[in-house]
Amino acid sequence: MSEPTPPSWKNPIAARGHSDSPDDVPIQPWQDPLAPWRDNREYKVKLHHIGHFRYYWKFRGHGSRLWHRTRWWPTRRRALLLRGGYNPKTLHAEKTISDKRPLYWIMAFALMLVMPFLVPQSLTNTLLSAAAIFAIYAAINLCWMLVIGTAGIYSLATYSVVGAAAYGTAYLSIQFGMPWWSLPFFGTFIGLGFGILIAIPALRLDGFYYALLTLGLNELCRVYVLQSRTFGSATGGLYGADTYIPEHFSAEHQLMLGYYASVVVMIAALALYRLVDGRRLGRILRMAPEKREAFAEACGVNYRRARIQVFLISSTALGAIGGFYAAHFRGASSNLFGLELVSLGLAMLVIGGTRRAEGVVIGTLIVVLMRDGLVTWGPIRLILIGVIMLAAVLFLRGGLFGIKPQFRAWRDKKKSENRSTRAEKGGEMLPEEATECRDKDEVYLRRFDKMQRDFLKTLVCAEVIEEHRRQPLGQHSEALERLMLYFRRQPQRDKYAIQAIQPFKAYRIVALSGHRGVAPREVEEKTYPTQAAAYHGVFLRRVQDLLET
Amino acid sequence: MNWGIIAVDALQLACIYGTLAVGISITWSSLGLINLAYGFVFAASGYGAWMAAEHLSEHGIAVMSAGILTGALFGIVVWALAFLPIHDKPNFTMRGMIATVAIALIGNQTLMWYFGPRAKALPEIFGYAQIEYAGITLTANTAGTVVSSIVLLGLVLWWMKSSRRGLEIRAMMMNPHAASLVGIGVRRTGLYVMALTGALAGLAAVLLSQVYYVSPFAGTTPLIKGLAIALCGGLGSVAGALIAAVILAINEAITAATIGGQYVLITQFALIILIILIRPRGIAGILDRAREA
Repeated sequence: MSEPTPPSWKNPIAARGHSDSPDDVPIQPWQDPLAPWRDNREYKVKLHHIGHFRYYWKFRGHGSRLWHRTRWWPTRRRALLLRGGYNPKTLHAEKTISDKRPLYWIMAFALMLVMPFLVPQSLTNTLLSAAAIFAIYAAINLCWMLVIGTAGIYSLATYSVVGAAAYGTAYLSIQFGMPWWSLPFFGTFIGLGFGILIAIPALRLDGFYYALLTLGLNELCRVYVLQSRTFGSATGGLYGADTYIPEHFSAEHQLMLGYYASVVVMIAALALYRLVDGRRLGRILRMAPEKREAFAEACGVNYRRARIQVFLISSTALGAIGGFYAAHFRGASSNLFGLELVSLGLAMLVIGGTRRAEGVVIGTLIVVLMRDGLVTWGPIRLILIGVIMLAAVLFLRGGLFGIKPQFRAWRDKKKSENRSTRAEKGGEMLPEEATECRDKDEVYLRRFDKMQRDFLKTLVCAEVIEEHRRQPLGQHSEALERLMLYFRRQPQRDKYAIQAIQPFKAYRIVALSGHRGVAPREVEEKTYPTQAAAYHGVFLRRVQDLLET
Repeated sequence: MNWGIIAVDALQLACIYGTLAVGISITWSSLGLINLAYGFVFAASGYGAWMAAEHLSEHGIAVMSAGILTGALFGIVVWALAFLPIHDKPNFTMRGMIATVAIALIGNQTLMWYFGPRAKALPEIFGYAQIEYAGITLTANTAGTVVSSIVLLGLVLWWMKSSRRGLEIRAMMMNPHAASLVGIGVRRTGLYVMALTGALAGLAAVLLSQVYYVSPFAGTTPLIKGLAIALCGGLGSVAGALIAAVILAINEAITAATIGGQYVLITQFALIILIILIRPRGIAGILDRAREA
């Protein structure tokens, strides 16, 4: 085998004797001029099989049934948000449930109803008492949510309102023998009074000043209760209040009754949350979030009044819960005022996600199950709660129920980042420029021009330049011919030309102005002895300009 | 009623409270972080000092420096967990506060888990000497507390007034955004501030543990008192915090001497609420400019 001969180009008209060029010119191997075109039109984005379309179950609807809606009498509010429509493909009438949350709530309530019968016998004691505590704390946290989320008052004294009401009613029950059913009733008064007391600073203070002040009030209550003999400093709490749980019930039935009563309290708190947050007061306050109060005020919203109203309503409710607490636990303990309970309450709100009832309930469920269900673990369970809380604060924007929107936002961000890295700029128009450009032909012209220049750059090599130096005019190899055709096709403006200073003796390179009557400008001082050398000089300049773009 | 005793008590309390409140105040104004893990740093430095006394030496300087170093270390831990990851994220003030609550929960329970609920006593680092003058007994403990806290607080304030780093911290306190624009590293300065305030908490822990004991939840009351004083002095103002510390210490000493110790917190909070209702931005609203939110 002999070595492959280097490719060369034969001048096809050299045989006629017209040309003085050599008939064998060394060239580079041939390249496909369509390759960049194909590369550029190829879809380069790698496709992953991720995500899915939102899938909804379609119910058949027929005729008038498609538009039939069940409503809560006597309002016009619907039982379920249903969307009616026609399948674009089959033209079948079909119904879709847009918001499935009511169904989930109903399922959760049903589960709560049958829960005592499902748990294994060995765990009944622990789980039923933990579930009762969960329901009471969930009710408290829902009222707290009204204060923090709806009213935007950062109060950390919620548990002390409950504690004050619990202590007060327990004291009334022990000293004056009040029956259990009157305790929530007295609790509302104590809660309202306490609420008014701590609402006074809220009128003047805002944000963290108020939060820290209420934290201090909490501690004040704790120390007072711990030192006061009337409030049971010796026993760590005040016990012996009247209770709604009959003595003659068996232990299991007592637990069950306590559990169901607590669930009823929680459902009442959910209803209160819905009534306050979802109606007029909540809407007024949604209009006046933090730092935009001035705008709301300019719109005629009396947000201060609404805030205080919500605060007092929730304090009253908290007082009632406090009365129930005293009737449920037969008294009150000083733990209600502890800093630990405030931290755990914050953990409940943060883990589940604020501003949503389901977030509050799920957060409370997680924390209470860990705290009261895993008592044997000792301090480790609280450390675990702290770790979950820290992770939720550091990584989640809206707790567990905010994960979905947060993930979607993150995915969209990544999408647009990837899209922007794919857009290359090289004479081509960016999307923003392309939308501004009036003549859309320009967009395609520029894109094509870029592809062509990319290809032509690969053709420039020593052989081509040498070929041009030897013979600037006449027949050329394909590569050189493509380059020169591209150069010749450029617009007149700033196009290089040669000027004869002295015919056959001195030539110089100039650049055309592109305007009639405007003289070309001089490009360089250098003069060339022959026309061919000047042509080659122009060629070199153009090649350099091409390689620089 | 002996005014001398009240004055001495007030002086001692003012020194400890001042140390605590200045730390909380500096943290808030320069980082925008309400450090509710301050109580945990306090308790942890108490344990650090106790371990130094157990294993290394019972010498006063060793114990005190162990407490201060542990405090600085846990200050940096709080910085790394609650400031570094989220300081440039939306809603930082609220999230930072909750993160410090979480750190306090984890930390206090870890202390409880590791050391158990039993309180530990630190050695008497100032000795047992006492001086009697005009009917006032000045124990070495009181004198040592006053002198060491004034010296350390003075050193910190002098460092903040005169050094390059202190200038950076003060710039952050005045306008964090502008400070970062002129090239002051927000994270690095945060590190200095947290180490510094942690060291102050450590000092307060060692001093206060001379009277009380070291226990997992020993930090709660100092934290609440420090917060209340910082709040009363105007969050973010060092001078305001010092003035508030003096006022509240006098109040506490007088209350304890006249009505009784159990009413201290009640009069304290009544006073704080009164001051705050009159001046919602604390005493220092007029003294110097500080961060508001």
